[in-house]
Amino acid sequence: MMEEAIATYREEASELLAELETSLLDLEETPDDDDLINRVFRAMHTIKGSGAMFGFDEIALFTHEVETVFDMVRNGKMTVTKPLLDLTLKSRDHISYLLSMPLGEEVDRSDGDEIIAGLRQLVPKPEIAQKGSATVPNINLPELSENELVNESTWRIRFRPAHNILMCGTNPISLINELRGLGVAHVVAQMDDVPALNELISENCYMFWDVILTTTCGVDAIRDVFIFVEDDCDIKIELIDSSGLIDREEGYKKLGDILVERGDLSPVEMQKVLMLQKRFGELLVEQGIVSPEKVQSALVEQQHVKSVRKERSEIQPQEPAASIRVPAERLDQLINLVGEMVTVQAHLSQVSMAGGDPTFIAISEEVERLTNELRDTALNIRMLPIGSTFSKFKRLVRDLSSELGKEIEMETFGAETELDKTVIEKLNDPLVHIIRNSIDHGIEMPEARRAAGKSSHGTVYLGAEHSGDSVLITIRDDGAGLDRDTIRAKAIERGLLSAHADVSDKEIYSQIFAPGFSTAAKVTSVSGRGVGMDVVKRGIEGLRGSISVDSVRGTGTTITLKIPLTLAIIDSLLVKIGTDHFVLPLAAIEECIELTREDVKNSHGRNLANVRGAIIPYIPLRQHFRITDNRPEIEQIVIADIHGTKVGFVVDHVVGEHQTVIKTLGKMYRDVKGVSGATILGDGTVALILDMRVLLHSIEQLENAG
Amino acid sequence: MPMNSSVRESGEIIITSGARLTIENAANFALLVSEALDASDVVAIEFEPEVEIDITGLQILCSACKSAAQNGKVFSYHGLQPPALADLIASSGTGRHAGCKHNNNSSCIWFGGAN
Repeated sequence: MMEEAIATYREEASELLAELETSLLDLEETPDDDDLINRVFRAMHTIKGSGAMFGFDEIALFTHEVETVFDMVRNGKMTVTKPLLDLTLKSRDHISYLLSMPLGEEVDRSDGDEIIAGLRQLVPKPEIAQKGSATVPNINLPELSENELVNESTWRIRFRPAHNILMCGTNPISLINELRGLGVAHVVAQMDDVPALNELISENCYMFWDVILTTTCGVDAIRDVFIFVEDDCDIKIELIDSSGLIDREEGYKKLGDILVERGDLSPVEMQKVLMLQKRFGELLVEQGIVSPEKVQSALVEQQHVKSVRKERSEIQPQEPAASIRVPAERLDQLINLVGEMVTVQAHLSQVSMAGGDPTFIAISEEVERLTNELRDTALNIRMLPIGSTFSKFKRLVRDLSSELGKEIEMETFGAETELDKTVIEKLNDPLVHIIRNSIDHGIEMPEARRAAGKSSHGTVYLGAEHSGDSVLITIRDDGAGLDRDTIRAKAIERGLLSAHADVSDKEIYSQIFAPGFSTAAKVTSVSGRGVGMDVVKRGIEGLRGSISVDSVRGTGTTITLKIPLTLAIIDSLLVKIGTDHFVLPLAAIEECIELTREDVKNSHGRNLANVRGAIIPYIPLRQHFRITDNRPEIEQIVIADIHGTKVGFVVDHVVGEHQTVIKTLGKMYRDVKGVSGATILGDGTVALILDMRVLLHSIEQLENAG
Repeated sequence: MPMNSSVRESGEIIITSGARLTIENAANFALLVSEALDASDVVAIEFEPEVEIDITGLQILCSACKSAAQNGKVFSYHGLQPPALADLIASSGTGRHAGCKHNNNSSCIWFGGAN
């Protein structure tokens, strides 16, 4: 049970860290945004509070330090600066590291210590109190989780040690620290009893302490702190607030009431002072009735309890859960089962149609409708907004640009665009490669940009938008753009292009996706080794997506990824050649036309069809797959749009639209070009899913080689 | 530098803290401060940056400050407060946001953050 809770904490903390990173990066742009500051604070507060609850003490201790600093920011005592954000981002990384470590295992604290030292240097010195004032700092309660807030009590503790406590070897501050360990404590040391030098016995302890402690522990836990000194010390513990027992309004007792309760002021004195109609604390101090320390201590109590009550009142009554957390594997299992169901449903439709029984057909159609709804719902469950990964890239841009001495901002759009969870995960590496390249090779150094008449700040745009059944992801920079001539020369040098070939800019730019291709004069830690863009291309194609590049010298480069919404089930066109079925993804298909023997004869073996005056090349798949039997008199050309080029694929029959549950081919078929997977049809036979783009490309290559 | 005191031309007495202002040498420190306040109107402490300090040291500073205030004298420190003192003030809850009644309700230069 505990292990499950720990796993859940790890998962939630990771999400909070992602939110923290996003908020910090946003805060860099709008450092005065109170909402963002509060979000940062709340994220750390929850990570810390829950961390302590589940035994992640290192996380709780470290986060407490960072949170304390942000508490000061929240209270306007510090401003958000770049050094603060740098350190807080590093803190986020350190918490992530601590989170990844097994519980109880020794962790490396060096980074954490360095960060804390850095943060402490940023903290301003305490402000000077005005003469005679009796103000207290804002009291905040960074220590309590929501759970704790509804189960806590607040205690007033006055601890007056025996004079000889120090000589007995007990350090009162250790006891105070033990109290701090029980919850949220505000400690005010009373120095009133410290005498002048001529009366002072230097080894005696004259100080005493007022502690206001909010804790979920009971009074026994508090008494236990003093167990070894209680006989000699004066210890008074009073319950002053509780979530369940005492008045639950936001406010708290008046200062006079607190002092009277504590025995620091008599009721008669209080009435006398109240008659004077001035600020009560000031009057008490002015008239020498109560020392400033005692007033301060009472004010601390007042503020502490007010804060606890306020925070408690902000917790809404527990609503039924609006969402539940489900392990990703269970969702994958659901999708698999839905896939099986789609297949069975196709079989059912086939059998019902063949039987011709109207009742059976009606039931089958109803099952088909429900299956479609179930499929869409199941797939939607796995859809996540792509924005969750955008913040990672913002961080990448920030860190890398700083490392390279460049000034680069990242702008994003379409963060709400949803994609299948698996697709988002697999997009991470390709996007990292592309963005690193934009930063290293694309965006120029500030002086070069200024010299080119540009702003010294470069921008990398990352955006996502829906386009049919795909999502277009655009990575654009306003850097130097690709050097067409250098790429062409390099491609010719490497034998990728013929020196005399008349090729379009797009084709030249596409050479950057060739394995090992690099025009970088020097290799940096970021990029330039020529490893990456070919991997990117393979990664995108592995997602059944495509990648294209466009660039204008001096203006920038745009890389566009076209990614299918989901990897599990696609709408497709089922076709037949001979006795075999094949599946073509429907998204790229434009129309189907007939191809007669006469048309073939008229094209004189050039495989070109005249479609309403437009000449469209076609690929006879029968020939490609070497299927020789039973060629029909009239074949069908399925015309598809592949990267703006219309190409026909000739098949025997078009069976119709089909929901295809994609099954991966085994390792044996890994290198078969033009086939991206397989599916099981209703009658149990297997149909290959054709990758039309790769098919076209491989046939082109074969023809060029021939 | 060990704990000792020296007189400047202005008459100000400077007490150097030495490495430890803890219970072991609290009596010496109290004596040194007391003698200095008897002899001069202006007494200042110069802390070793790495000085260790405990509650006895803290109480002596408070006590000396009260004594000086009672007699119209000045008891302060030169330079920065050492980290150990700042930490002790924070951990013991001695930090002040109110004035000190022994010092005409002025903010305390030791615990109220003024220098």
